[in-house]
Order: sequence, then C-alpha cells, then structure tokens
Amino acid sequence: MKFLRFLRLPTISDLGSILKVGPTAWGIAICLGVVAVGARYVSTYPLTILISLLVFAALAYSMNFITGLTGYVSFGHVVFMGLGAYAWGGVVGTFHWSPLGSVVIGGTVGLLFALGLGAVTLRFRGVYFAIASLVTALAAGNIILAIPALGGGQGIVLNLGFEPLSQFYTIWLILAIEVGLTYWVTHGRIGYGLRAIKGDEDAAKTLGIDVTRLKLFVFGLSGLFAGAVGSVNAWTVSGVFPEAAFALLFSLLMLAMVIVGGSGTFSGPLVGAVVVYIPHTYFLTVASGAEFIVIGAMVTFIALVVPEGIVGSIRRYIPILRGILE
Amino acid sequence: MRLALVASGIHKHFGGVRALRGVSLSLTEGEIVGLIGPNGSGKSTLLNVISGVEKPTAGTVTLDGRRIDGKPSHRIAGWGVVKTHQIPKPFLGMTSRENVTVAALFGSRRMADVRQASEEASSVLRLVGLEAKAETLASNLTVQDRKRLELARVIATGARILLLDEVFAGLSAGELREAIELFARIQEKLGVGVLVVEHVMRAVLTLSQRVVVIEEGRKIAEGTPQEVVRDPAVIEAYLGTEAARAAT
Repeated sequence: MKFLRFLRLPTISDLGSILKVGPTAWGIAICLGVVAVGARYVSTYPLTILISLLVFAALAYSMNFITGLTGYVSFGHVVFMGLGAYAWGGVVGTFHWSPLGSVVIGGTVGLLFALGLGAVTLRFRGVYFAIASLVTALAAGNIILAIPALGGGQGIVLNLGFEPLSQFYTIWLILAIEVGLTYWVTHGRIGYGLRAIKGDEDAAKTLGIDVTRLKLFVFGLSGLFAGAVGSVNAWTVSGVFPEAAFALLFSLLMLAMVIVGGSGTFSGPLVGAVVVYIPHTYFLTVASGAEFIVIGAMVTFIALVVPEGIVGSIRRYIPILRGILE
Repeated sequence: MRLALVASGIHKHFGGVRALRGVSLSLTEGEIVGLIGPNGSGKSTLLNVISGVEKPTAGTVTLDGRRIDGKPSHRIAGWGVVKTHQIPKPFLGMTSRENVTVAALFGSRRMADVRQASEEASSVLRLVGLEAKAETLASNLTVQDRKRLELARVIATGARILLLDEVFAGLSAGELREAIELFARIQEKLGVGVLVVEHVMRAVLTLSQRVVVIEEGRKIAEGTPQEVVRDPAVIEAYLGTEAARAAT
C-alpha cells in the first residue's frame, strides 16, 4: 500500500536492537508479565479491578498516540470507543459472533472512522482540531440514539456469560500491543518526524516531512485501539448503552492520564493511568463525584507547575534518570 | 548532471495585492545567486512559491525540466530544494543534534537508521560550527546559533539547492564577516546551488556570482554584483530618484 510506504520491514539487525530496549521497556514488560501470570491466581474482585485498570492504561496509550506524540488534542476521543462498542455490540447481538473475536470489529471501526475523520480534521490546527473532534463526538452520540436498530435510548443489552479471565487477557493483549507500538514509533524515524511536527509543523514540512501522512498514521492507531478498548469495556458490562458509550468523561479521563503521566513519553501513559485510576475508583465508592474534584485539581496542578507531567518532569529535574526513564 | 531550477513568469496575488508580477530567475547547482530588493518587494514570497509553501497564481517552476510549482513543500524538499525560514523555526523541545537528525531522516536524504542520521547530524553541526552546542536544547540557543541551526538543518536534508531567507540579517560587522567566510567554505565544499535572499547588501555582493534585483514584484535588474550596483534602476529603487540622478 502506497500510504504505508514509510514503514520499513524489520531486518535482522533490528532483532539485535530489540534486546537492547533499555530499562524502561524492560520494566514495563516485567510489570505486564507479572499481572499476566498473577491474574490466574487472584479472585474475581481483584481481577475486575485489574481489568478496569488495564482499560484505563490502554485508553491512555490510545490518547498518547495522537495527543502525546503530535500535540493535537483529541477532545472527542470517546467517539472511537463509542463506535467501536456499538460495532462490537451489533455483531455480537445480531450475528452472535464471539465477544472476543468481535473486539477486532470494534477496533476496525475505530480505525476506519479515525482515518476518515482525520483526513478532514487533521487539517485544522490547535483549538480548531479540538473543537471539531468534540463536536464529532457529540454528534455521533445523538445520531446513534436516533437509529432504532441500535436500540435507541435503551442501547444493546446482551446476556453474555461472566468470563473475567478472557476479558482480562484481551485487554492485556491490547495494552501489550500498544506499548510495543509506542516503543517502536517513538524510537524510530517516525518518532523524530512526529516530534518535529509537535515542535513546528511548518518547519517540519519544509524539511521534507509528509506531515499529513504521519498525523493520519498515529490518529489511525489511536482510533484502532480506542475502538478495541470500547469493545472490551462493553463486554465487561455485557451491553452497549448510549449515555455511557459516548460519555465525554472518558475523553477527559484519557487527556488527564496523558497530561499527568507525561505527554508523548513512553512510560507516561502507564504512570498516568495508575495515578488517575486510584482516586477515580476510590472516591467512586466513598464519595461519588469527589473523584472529579481530585483529578481536576491534579491536572490543574500538573499543567501549571510541571507541565511535562510526572515522567517528563523526572527526566528534566533528575538528570541521572534521563538515560533510564523514557 | 547539475540540477537546474528555473522559475519563469511567476505571479502571486494575495486578494488585491500583487506580490509578484512576472518574475523569472534560474539557478544551477554550484552557483550562488543573490536576490535583493527593498522591503516588501516580494523576495520572501518568491522563495515561498519555489519551495512550495505558496502556490503561484501564474507561472511555472521547473527542476531539471520537471514542473514543481504547486507541489506540496515536503515533496519539493524530497527532490532536493529546501528553504530556511526568515525567522528561525527550530524544534524548541529538541537538542541541536536532534533538530539536525530530523533533517537527515527526511528531506531528500531520507536515512533509515536513526543512529547513522545522528552521526551525520554531528558532522553537519561541526561544519556550521555548532558542535559545542550539539546537546543544547534549541530553546536555549541564541538568535545567531538558531540561524546556524537553520542552515545545518537544510544542509542535512541533502538538498542540492538551498534557498536562504535572510540568514545574515541582524549580525554585527564582525559576526557578518565570520558568517560570510563560513558560508563560502560550506558552499564550496558541498557544491550546492544557493539562492541568497538578503537585505544586507554586503553579504550578497561578496558571495554571489549573479544578482537579481526585484522591486514591487518585478525584476528590475540582473547581472554581476558590480553591474547591478551601478544600475540606475537599482540605485533609484534603493535610494530614490535624486540619488540615481546624482550617481549617473
């Protein structure tokens, strides 16, 4: 495909460098390995906690592809989750496809919608892109509501069996692929191109960077994973409900995780996911509503005091860790 | 085979403003051509048209006979024609070396390996005298160093034709002499073609083999530096009618 011409197939010498990925990548790989093994031995309640934590992390990496790497703020990112969830619910409900396999459908819909939307809206810069994406999410939610075949305000109610372990391994796999792709993108030629776009798009263009193609590439990845995560999220509640599927809250949480963790960094989305998830879930049970005050205050503090986020600031202020933490 | 860039009959209108009204110029690899003219005469607009930042309203730009006008700037850069920015546009969050590495990874060179590109960046930084600041964040560079970085980036793209937009502006007399020497050395070494847009007459007259003068979007003179400075039309454009009468 001509569009993907800039991707290069890995060569033998690349395999050697994969082993030299550095401490951050090893650290994340070990964490992922530990939860993958540990999940088999924990009871259902901690497992569901783990699933929702991984959902958060996978969403953070999805947002990081576009907002973290290019600086384009995708305010309506939930639209990919919502459409992915509906596509998943549609094939599971109507054709009785397996919930696991249908996650691919959710991801594909997210990908295609992101490519279509991005081809138009990635031409807008800064706040215009953010507004266009926000409006798209609001519109999509309302359009879905008006389609009777998709259940209208009722949504799609499925009576699926409770299988937390399959759900866990599905979201685990999505996250692992995202982490791998983030590493590959940020460490190669494309990563330099994206940082240039984030720095100064006009200068990037005159140096020969096809900015439209690169932006569309990461936006597509972003939509793909958001769609897949939206499907898993729907699977965990065994249905798709319009209010929840297009809740702007998800967009805000995704942005919060990327900002708090460290926009555009490799480990930042994971750190941000954990830091945002804890107050989110804790206050949800203790004093519902208070979680947003806490998260809002946290984001404000980070944006004002240490705008590079946790990982970015550690790298800036502790030079020794610069070579270790990415 | 030397690359030849030919712009002919370029018109560019912005609404009712006619920035360029039929300018033609040519440049081959290995040659330094100066482009001068008073403020607002259309110099930067012409560079923007050649480099693909703007589409011409009329006229053509060819590179070795192939039409490049109206093509996106990243493709023109890919064919080896790259411009610097009048106000330097470094990638602020990246170090000097990373800034230049980007250029080596894209442009017309399109290196595939990041490590090789980074080594290439080091040698280009040495060429422009910025090696001591290779690891400095671009946001911490002085204006002069940012101009050097701008030059380093276009060189690292592997461009055969450089379009330099006022890289010598704002330098003190001593800095200017140094910059001119450095520039002449680099151009000789690389054998590239350079179109120097400049306000600083001295830089253009010292460096260029040929000078094109434009005023109000039209070419008013072309020739060797010596010919051009004696041309009454040029003197008039710069100094007014009386000065022109006095000079002749």
